[in-house]
Amino acid sequence: MRAESASGEGIAGAIRSPQRLIAAAVALLIGLFGAAMLTPARAAADGETYVVATDITFAPFEFQDVDGKFVGIDIDLIHEIAANQKFNITIKPLGFDAALQAVQANQADGVIAGMSITDERKKVFDFSDPYFESGVQMAVLDSNQDIKSYADLKGKRVAVKNGTEGAEFAQSIKDKYGFQIVSFADSASMFEEVKTGNSVAIFEDYPVLNYGIEQGNGFKTVTPKEKGSSYGFAVNKGRNAELLAKFNAGLKELKDSGRYDEIMEKYLGEGASEADNSFFGLLSSTFPFLMAGLKMTLILTVVSIAIALVLGIIFGLCRVSRSIILRAIGTTYVDIFRGTPLLVQAFFIYFGIPTALGFQMTALTAGIITLSLNAGAYMTEIVRGGIQSVDKGQMEAARSLGIGYLPTMRKVILPQAVRTMIPSYVNQFVITLKDTSILSVIGIAELTQTGRLIIARNYQSFTMWLIIGIIYFIVIMALTKLSDRLEKRMVK
Amino acid sequence: MTQLVPEAAAAEPEGTVKIRIEGLKKSFGDLVVLDGIDTTISKGEVVCVIGPSGSGKSTFLRCLNKLEDITAGKVTVDGFDLTDRRVDLDKVRQHIGMVFQHFNLFPHMTVIDNVTLAPLLTKKMDKAAAEKRAMELLGQVGLAEKANVKPATLSGGQKQRVAIARALAMNPSIMLFDEATSALDPEMVGDVLQVLRDLAEGGMTMVVVTHEMGFAREVASRVIFMADGNIVEDDTPSQVFDSPKHPRLQEFLSKVL
Repeated sequence: MRAESASGEGIAGAIRSPQRLIAAAVALLIGLFGAAMLTPARAAADGETYVVATDITFAPFEFQDVDGKFVGIDIDLIHEIAANQKFNITIKPLGFDAALQAVQANQADGVIAGMSITDERKKVFDFSDPYFESGVQMAVLDSNQDIKSYADLKGKRVAVKNGTEGAEFAQSIKDKYGFQIVSFADSASMFEEVKTGNSVAIFEDYPVLNYGIEQGNGFKTVTPKEKGSSYGFAVNKGRNAELLAKFNAGLKELKDSGRYDEIMEKYLGEGASEADNSFFGLLSSTFPFLMAGLKMTLILTVVSIAIALVLGIIFGLCRVSRSIILRAIGTTYVDIFRGTPLLVQAFFIYFGIPTALGFQMTALTAGIITLSLNAGAYMTEIVRGGIQSVDKGQMEAARSLGIGYLPTMRKVILPQAVRTMIPSYVNQFVITLKDTSILSVIGIAELTQTGRLIIARNYQSFTMWLIIGIIYFIVIMALTKLSDRLEKRMVK
Repeated sequence: MTQLVPEAAAAEPEGTVKIRIEGLKKSFGDLVVLDGIDTTISKGEVVCVIGPSGSGKSTFLRCLNKLEDITAGKVTVDGFDLTDRRVDLDKVRQHIGMVFQHFNLFPHMTVIDNVTLAPLLTKKMDKAAAEKRAMELLGQVGLAEKANVKPATLSGGQKQRVAIARALAMNPSIMLFDEATSALDPEMVGDVLQVLRDLAEGGMTMVVVTHEMGFAREVASRVIFMADGNIVEDDTPSQVFDSPKHPRLQEFLSKVL
């Protein structure tokens, strides 16, 4: 799979060099409150702990089992090799693109994520010996009797996952067989596309297809698998050579001992799972994970919105200041964070800045910084609006008494501004709560990410997204009602 | 009611120049509102400023504590040049009380908190002393029993008397009144003017922008008539009201009296 590195390398590559200036500027902002949370770059040595990044939803290579533990061929292999070669590992499930970027940004020491060894990738990564021979295969719905070969795809739509070898293979034959390609970011959406009937077939690595079929996802294969490439473990080009050597040595020992075959059999062999996939069955079996995800969502929201309030007051005061410099600072901050997508901000802060400046930060830190700065920009406008809604005479009366500008703001203007700000503030709280779901892209296990992990294992996307949607709805409605009450009491 | 006037203000010798205004000009963009004002205001004077609306009276008053930026000229208060950037305006303003047409009480605070806010913030006075002084002042303006209510429950006249007490709590030596009775119902005007009268009798230096000609005639030691951004007449009340010289003043008085 994943021959084309455009998505993986592209984003990190683009961020890496040309934007150091902006990186420095943003880092300055982050320095305000982020410095304490940063960990220094580590030099991995013998017996030390390596950080290994991986995908999150690529069963059977990596996925969460029903107990919420990360398992799969890749995960078992790297654990066994670590034990065999006597080093420690910390697994960072980030998602495929993010995992590659994390290694390039030196946020992780290596990546094992069902990653095909390609010439393109060899330019930026050093690969281990291949540990798995893969190959692309086509799958259609069980009920589909029309598609028996590539030729039957003529005039139809085919679903693929971005940057995969399946996608590349489909691209290479689409003109010959006359079909259209639709691309998706994750496997679950790709399968769903076919289930809804929008597309008729998918192209994906055969072990992934087979795993899904065994989980009862309602697909079947009708054509033989294509000859494919090999998966390898990778480290950043020119770094962690000793980790690579240990991986190769460990892999060889596992193969010699037969342990390698046992792992393969465990995940690729027969043995379909028996699970209750009804709404309530899924709700009860996934409830503890969903609640843990919800807790993370709420932590992210509350911490970020609190910091955003402080930023909003500081920059909001800048915005209404008589000093043209302070006003420019406030305006620039608001323009930057309102003028760029949150997703880009998250990637930039988590991958771009650490790469440019050579340090590491956790996804949670990056997530809180991103959300705080983003919500802070909107809070700035809310604070500005609140201050400007207070009658000008209030400022004049206080100043005429000889009270300074800032004490006047603190004692006279802001307490009155807060009243008009409350509805907007609650609105921003709700928006930020929903925005936390975007942070799933940097691997934070909040509610949406938890849902993606569960779906990657059980393929029950319709029911799971319904459950997750209901949870968000209940929480947001509860918060809204609570704030209505609060508002009524404060206005009194 | 001499207690209304702070001892320090009362103790200054008569005739000391409190405010000196030299060539004061103020424009908003192209609109010239004050076109070169020259006058002085001495200790103990009660100067009433009258004139048609748009004549620049309120702007003139707001330049005396620099609530408005001064376009050109000089305003010197107690020897401090307000146009000098090195002068600490907050310090100067602590000696100049101001009362506004629309009261501008702080609606989120009780009456007594309105009165004690500035002394507590700027003078590091202890709370008990500030509240004691505030209660005295509220008693003087007849509102002691309203100390713990929010301004929203007061009538206009009561609000304005609280605003006066708030300004006096800083022990100013000059008081500026910007159409202090214009927003009041007629039956409220008397109470507020009585407080002004008490202040004047106590020797407070006052600049009063007003439409109350009767009050000006009775209380003022000097009346300034402004028109088109200039001082047109500046004389005793009897001269201004009984033998106006300038046609603009004659025309104005014929309309308002």
